[in-house]
Amino acid sequence: MRKSGGVVVVCRCEDVTADDIREAIELGIDDFELLRRYLKIGFGPCQGRSCVAIAARIFARATGRKIDEVLSNYRVRPPIVPVSAKYFTRGART
Amino acid sequence: MKTLIIGAGISGLFVAYELAQRGLRDIVVVDASYPGSGATLRNLGCFRSSFTSPEHVVLMKESIREWLRLGDRLDLEIEQKGYLWVARKPETLDNFRKLVEFHHQFNVPTRILDVDEVKALEPRLNTKIVAGAMFDPTAGKMSIIKNFTKFYLEVKKLGVRIVPYTRVTKLVARGSRVTAAETSSGTVEADAFVVAAAGDSRDIIATVGVDVPIVDVPRHPYVTEPYAKAIEPALIIDWDTPGSPHVTQTKHGSLILARDLEDTPRASLYSQRVDAIPHILKPLRELLPFLSEVNILRYWMGYYDMTPDHHPIYGPVQPYENLYIAAGFSGHGMMMGPVTGKLVASWILDGKPYIPIAGNLTLERFKTGRLVKELAVIG
Repeated sequence: MRKSGGVVVVCRCEDVTADDIREAIELGIDDFELLRRYLKIGFGPCQGRSCVAIAARIFARATGRKIDEVLSNYRVRPPIVPVSAKYFTRGART
Repeated sequence: MKTLIIGAGISGLFVAYELAQRGLRDIVVVDASYPGSGATLRNLGCFRSSFTSPEHVVLMKESIREWLRLGDRLDLEIEQKGYLWVARKPETLDNFRKLVEFHHQFNVPTRILDVDEVKALEPRLNTKIVAGAMFDPTAGKMSIIKNFTKFYLEVKKLGVRIVPYTRVTKLVARGSRVTAAETSSGTVEADAFVVAAAGDSRDIIATVGVDVPIVDVPRHPYVTEPYAKAIEPALIIDWDTPGSPHVTQTKHGSLILARDLEDTPRASLYSQRVDAIPHILKPLRELLPFLSEVNILRYWMGYYDMTPDHHPIYGPVQPYENLYIAAGFSGHGMMMGPVTGKLVASWILDGKPYIPIAGNLTLERFKTGRLVKELAVIG
């Protein structure tokens, strides 16, 4: 990874930097799904659209794994974009 | 002595941790997916000892003590902010009074709150529809992800070998001993085997001809965007609504909402139900009106690995002399983690559980019909 000389923010929702990712790998977090949860990458309002691919690439390079392998357990959870609770309750039975 | 533990969730890792603490060196933990990928990283992280069977109360009190001790040492996120069981009907308070009496026999300090006390504890509750509540100040919540990850690193530091993405397809027995496990990456021989794979334990142990009565019951929690502190207790439970809807707020600020819904056992974890969100939300927003305005971020599924009496299955798997189980937690595996590790380690190394009452929780009880009775399964 090229040195930027500054802070590289990877996940803007949860304010996670490239250095945070490298430090977590150095701590011994050796699985991308565990790392993602530990740092909350992709768990904010964007649901990973802007950060997961970048984070996966950093993780793949640091651990010498293939990117397909790193992302093989990544799942997208509904409702994909944040939706106000008021749209879910019309006509619902208790 | 080599030990193979099947399942790298909270139970399997605590068994590995205790065995390593007690001096065992050759410990391998395998998991079908990534560590914690089953019920561990899907649950809500709430804990309590205010149960309604002596077995649960005694073991959970010990487990909470151990979690807090470990929390100090590993800088874990654990808070004792209490469970609030809200009663909508006055007659429910009579049941709560009986539970409180039972809890006090075990020094669990639950108490009944009247409407004013409920309002004082949680001003956001719509007390117009509330008759009172039961409160357990020693119950609480923890950060599942932070705590599990820190504990995972600690277990690795002790020299335990954790091998993810390795599915056990079959156990191999010779006479009264299990000799090996066949896995997706080859055969693993060992001297002792511990199956801590939640509902999958049933299929794994069935390969050596023993029936384990665990049913995977789907659960449907969902989480909101993070908000400033919105609720005071660790967990608020709408006790008089079927499926007891409940809500907790993580330290990070997200509200997690859930309710037990009728569902098909073993339904796929990706068979998400669009009706889950309104079913969970509607009763809860009657109690906490601000929930009408929150933004829902994510919804996922997980299983309760349910046994017929909603208690875990611990200890030896007869007729085998070196096969053990720790599964069937019925929604309480995270909170029981530390006591699970110590119990199974004592069974393996001392031949008996270090807390005698755990002896009621072996697989044998389903043969002899001595099931544990509990009045309420909640959160």
